[in-house]
Amino acid sequence: MTAFALVLLAVGAAGFLFRLLRGPSLSDRVVGLDGLQSIVVIAIIVAAARSDSGITIETVLVAVLVGFVGTTALSRFIERRGN
Amino acid sequence: MNVVSGVLIVAGAALAMIGGIGAVKFRDLYSRMHAAAKAPTLGLVLVAIGAAIAIDTLLAYTTLLLVVILQLLSSPVGAHALSRASRRQTPVALDGPDDLTRDETAAATRLADPTD
Repeated sequence: MTAFALVLLAVGAAGFLFRLLRGPSLSDRVVGLDGLQSIVVIAIIVAAARSDSGITIETVLVAVLVGFVGTTALSRFIERRGN
Repeated sequence: MNVVSGVLIVAGAALAMIGGIGAVKFRDLYSRMHAAAKAPTLGLVLVAIGAAIAIDTLLAYTTLLLVVILQLLSSPVGAHALSRASRRQTPVALDGPDDLTRDETAAATRLADPTD
């Protein structure tokens, strides 16, 4: 069950990675990066449920906070510098 | 791991995959942002509920609740900041008419104003 979920997450991560690499604008790359961060967060939770241990679950908090700070910082950067 | 948590985890992962497909297939930046910001957020909520049922410890409950609250707060804020920045800075190619440059309120009041 969780293996199938990880396969689905890999397909979604491929989509976001395509958007991150392809562009065309910097904002599109930030969209790809933000989505990739969401996928990584979900994948860590799925891996924790797969191993039935809550040890790795605390890293999810760090991933969520880093992703939010990254997106906000990049959008401030775009607002100041343009494209 | 029981059936309920497995179904929730697979449903959440499927939502995240749909977000990734939307980020590839949609044709302008704001449509892509619409797909990439909302679908994985609901997917994260479903996966967190499923994982909390599967792991079943107090630490997992509190941490996953905190993660869900943080993601529900930060995802719209980040998407809004990004769309605001790109709207102000760059003329983005839009898939359809641009409803933000045409001033509909001014047009409506001009029609309603008899002295004009």
